[in-house]
Amino acid sequence: MSDEDRIVEERDCGGDVAAYALGALEPAEADAFRRHMESCAVCRDELVTFQGVVDALPMTAPLHPAPGDLRRRVMDAVESEPQARRDGAPAPRPRSRLAEWLTPRPALAFGMAAVLAVAVLAGITLSPSSSPSARVISAQVTGQGTAELRVTGGHGELVLHRFSPPPAGEIYEVWVKRPNQSPSPTSALFSVTTKGDGDVDVPGSLRGVDEVMVTPEPAGGTPAPTHPAVIQADLT
Amino acid sequence: MQLVHDGEAQAFEVIFDRHANAAFSLAYRMCGRQGMAEDVVQDAFLSLWRSGARYDRARGSVRSWVLGVVHNRAIDAFRRDVVHAGRDVSDEGAAERMPAPQSTEGEVQRRDEARQVRGALEDLPPDQRQVIELAYFGGFSHSQIATMLELPAGTVKGRMRLGLTKLRLALGDPSGVLL
Repeated sequence: MSDEDRIVEERDCGGDVAAYALGALEPAEADAFRRHMESCAVCRDELVTFQGVVDALPMTAPLHPAPGDLRRRVMDAVESEPQARRDGAPAPRPRSRLAEWLTPRPALAFGMAAVLAVAVLAGITLSPSSSPSARVISAQVTGQGTAELRVTGGHGELVLHRFSPPPAGEIYEVWVKRPNQSPSPTSALFSVTTKGDGDVDVPGSLRGVDEVMVTPEPAGGTPAPTHPAVIQADLT
Repeated sequence: MQLVHDGEAQAFEVIFDRHANAAFSLAYRMCGRQGMAEDVVQDAFLSLWRSGARYDRARGSVRSWVLGVVHNRAIDAFRRDVVHAGRDVSDEGAAERMPAPQSTEGEVQRRDEARQVRGALEDLPPDQRQVIELAYFGGFSHSQIATMLELPAGTVKGRMRLGLTKLRLALGDPSGVLL
């Protein structure tokens, strides 16, 4: 008897867990297995462990960047139809031309990330005197280090010194907050050098923004803050 | 995610930007055709939007949730397109030799994790890796795989279980480490 046959035979009810996690049971079998799990804690527990593995399988796919026009197609479709309405849910806000303009573009994000990467790697900090009209705002920092928001022509740049790196597995995410609104995520995710230095562009315009915030977030960022801000720059 | 739930197209755009490459890579791996992969990704994101983005944090990361929807949509597409040919991806991995679109620490970490998972999958005995790939990326049921490989259904299920068990051991706790 092979290992594969033995493992199914040893505990028959567990034989379907892996196939279920992989979505490989026939529909009727999957229904029956779901009913079985209602009374079988062993299978439920095993499914949780297998599900974690299955969730990781997409990472084995060779990386292919999404075609540029796919983003436009998806967002055009999103803007042309509302979400399914739910009781009490507010109506979707139409995107204004300003919002359109504020939206980070991949090329822009790439450029910003490249600039940031070069600046961080080289330990470069842009001079506040690079523009005569720059407004420099000292940001409130939780913990050690300093942070400044330099605003030039409606665009902002955060400059950090001796700032703590994000906790292991996390990254700093930049948010902009407008009056009476929740913080909106930006595409700016960053860390700092070993000396705690860093500078990062705040994507989009700061017009109408009353606060720029930074929070530590899980790698990849999140769409809403999950931690208190560690940097807060008040623009009012 | 609350902003997406509230109908903020701008917040949804952020979700798209963060996960589109992973979504497209998965769809392309499954479909093997660019046009079909694009349709699958578009369908998946639109269904996320239409549903009001009912994301449950307790059930995993946003990325797992998005990729789960992409996976299901690809399988739906297979069922519509009965003659789904095998993969025909000639430039596998080419994009990974390109600079990361965002040279962030998170991106570097994600690539490291991807290498780890890929290595663990490649280390599996070929017969176990084969049934896992046919099931997950091919969208085939265990009985279809059994027919293809001329094996008893129980053997296919057993290989799936052994393979996933070995992957779990190799990866530690993927639900806590990855994605």
